[in-house]
Amino acid sequence: MNIPSKVPVSILTGFLGSGKTTLLNRILSEEHGKRIAVIENEFGEVGIDQGLVIDADEEIFEMSNGCICCTVRGDLIRVLGNLMKRRDKFDYVLVETTGLADPGPVAQTFFMDDEIREEFSLDGIVTLVDAAHIEQQLGRSDESTEQVAFADVLVLNKTDLVDDEALDRLEARLREMNRMAQVVRSERADVPVDTVLNLDAFNLDEVLERRPTFLEPEYPFEWTGVYALDPGRFELSLADGPDPAMSLVVVPDQGTDDAALRESAESCVRQYAEPAQPIDPGEEIPVGTHVNLRLDSPGRKSFFLDVDTPVRLGLYAQHTAEEFDLQLKNAEGATIRQEVERTWVAQHEHDDEVGSIAIETDGDLDPIRLNAWLGELLRERGVDIFRMKGFISLAGESQRYVFQGVHMLFDSQPDRPWGDSPRRNQLVFIGRNLDEQSMRQGFEACLV
Amino acid sequence: MSGLNLDRPTGILRPGWSATVDDYAIAGGWTRRGEALVVADAAGGVYAFNGKSGASAWARQETHEGGVLAMAIHPDGTAFATAGQDGRVLLWDVAKDQAQQAIDVGTAWVDNLAWSPDGQWLAASCARQVRTYGADGREAWRSDDHPSTISAIAWSPAGELATACYGQVAFFDASTGEPRQKLQWKGSLVSMVLSPDGDVVACGSQDNSVHFWRRSTEQDSMMSGYSGKPSALAFDDAGTLLATGGGERVTVWSFQGGGPEGTLPGVLDLHVEPVTTLAFARRTLRLVSGGRDGAVVVWSLRSDGEGDPIGAAVVRDVVAELHWRPDGRALAALDAQGGVTVWRVR
Repeated sequence: MNIPSKVPVSILTGFLGSGKTTLLNRILSEEHGKRIAVIENEFGEVGIDQGLVIDADEEIFEMSNGCICCTVRGDLIRVLGNLMKRRDKFDYVLVETTGLADPGPVAQTFFMDDEIREEFSLDGIVTLVDAAHIEQQLGRSDESTEQVAFADVLVLNKTDLVDDEALDRLEARLREMNRMAQVVRSERADVPVDTVLNLDAFNLDEVLERRPTFLEPEYPFEWTGVYALDPGRFELSLADGPDPAMSLVVVPDQGTDDAALRESAESCVRQYAEPAQPIDPGEEIPVGTHVNLRLDSPGRKSFFLDVDTPVRLGLYAQHTAEEFDLQLKNAEGATIRQEVERTWVAQHEHDDEVGSIAIETDGDLDPIRLNAWLGELLRERGVDIFRMKGFISLAGESQRYVFQGVHMLFDSQPDRPWGDSPRRNQLVFIGRNLDEQSMRQGFEACLV
Repeated sequence: MSGLNLDRPTGILRPGWSATVDDYAIAGGWTRRGEALVVADAAGGVYAFNGKSGASAWARQETHEGGVLAMAIHPDGTAFATAGQDGRVLLWDVAKDQAQQAIDVGTAWVDNLAWSPDGQWLAASCARQVRTYGADGREAWRSDDHPSTISAIAWSPAGELATACYGQVAFFDASTGEPRQKLQWKGSLVSMVLSPDGDVVACGSQDNSVHFWRRSTEQDSMMSGYSGKPSALAFDDAGTLLATGGGERVTVWSFQGGGPEGTLPGVLDLHVEPVTTLAFARRTLRLVSGGRDGAVVVWSLRSDGEGDPIGAAVVRDVVAELHWRPDGRALAALDAQGGVTVWRVR
């Protein structure tokens, strides 16, 4: 018996008027060499030009146990079940949902039904967003929020109707809700087809390659500068900036490589959690303490650092040096250049209930503890966790484990061997009202 | 791929003949005394083979655009009907290579077909509606829209038509289409079978359970614990045993005495991949099971549902359907590679 390769399926979601059918037609005309089946659930704004189009009523099947995570799309099971019987199988399947669809049941269908899972692979969820109307929609409907949260790709469409500043603001808001998704801008859904098809979006390596920073943890500070200093008195000078105060931690004996910077960053996170000591202009800054520099008086303000022996100091500042024109000067008034500087992904205000949490740690996980933790988390919060993706290092396993999930359902599979690469864990959760701190602690408690 | 290491059929199964059709052999059946075996494939081909030799009697391609979804042999065994993705039903004479009549049912797929036991009516379901036709192809009645797409249909011996969909089984009067009874249960019903006396309705459900009702009392029960969704169901002619697929095992419930409630089922465990189809030979407790593993196993069952394998064979791919010749002396298997395999039965 031959082992058939799985047929990729993409799900297209988005409110009515967001441009789904335009994108569909675009894909069909550009990929005309392929056999593509389109499963449609509503009459589009424009007709579909070619390809096999199957109209199916969106039939949401809940299970008798009442669990929303077991809810599937019955019409898809039936239609896909028949399509896979043809010998000249389809190269690709596109499922266009209605504007008001919850993407959950569509995605869950590919996990829940054994026969579908055997023949098809969910390639990705593409959500079209009408740039001119999404802000109102996000405020009014759970469906549009969920469509954003579930997406692997967010196509920010109709950008010609909105000014650049508003677009940037909108994109930042969408990214905040879903840090896993790639955001593509378009005017008339004219995005390159390869940005929406064959994403292998459930493959985390691909995601990392596209957006290497998406797993970067967020820090309460934005900037670090490392200065090599001889004994003496130094002046830290700041101009007027965006805030009347700025938090700072000065780390002694700071290394200059990335690992050393990250290590100090972690310890600074703990420092930042402590109440800050207020420092007025003219006062001395204590080393190794969370301080809050008062900057509410007009003009440049100076603070002082006393150094007894040659040392490298790391300044972990709430804002970038640029924002306050931060300068360090020696007793002669000469400006000292930092040896190294870097910026961090800053924490943002979370306005939306829906957001992303990224967890990244080194080390191996205890499979039993991990199972217990994940099991409990998904039992209690599965309804609010829309998507999760990641890879993990299990103790005693030579291979990396990749896993992904939708609500309470998840799949975990051995992936390539670790070899010489450092063993680490990277996870992203997208959900509603997730408690980042307790999830982080819960996960870290699973480390060996 | 099967757990059975079979180069050739064993036990009561003996080599017969084999043939191929162009695509996934999706449905078929024997004519009156097994003179012919008719088969339809997923690409829309319809074929008739000589029942004894396997020689091609006739073949016709592209009967239904998009492919065939269902076939039903008329009870008199000389005619049959096919239905497909083109929204049509075709009526055929077994002896002729051309459809005698075409019926436009709707714009959606026609998924299910069934002749009434007296051969007077043909029922066809299309999306949320079921329609019935006389043997001359004239429409008799059509149902109102069901709450969701109809997943299975069946006739009761008393001449009622049953439909299953998400959340319900409904019964309609055969000649008028008047609704007679509605049995509700919140779950996606994917398959249905009626007991020969018409009292028991059994449905496989998407959530890996079998739900059944006794129509006379409207009492219902649920049998859970399946490892897959039970899409294959079969009652024996006496209504003693209900064989159910759902995962690799065949689970057999006995309606003897007060059962099956509170009893343990018989479990038939030889397939290594999920069971796809089940069929009892006429007037016997002889069951055949086919699976995704390509294995075909004949079981001799006792009235308590337990039993032993008495014959087995393997085909090239997923077993789509199994059909006993009416006299039970031959067995046909249709598979996903388009294979048609017939064994003689000792």
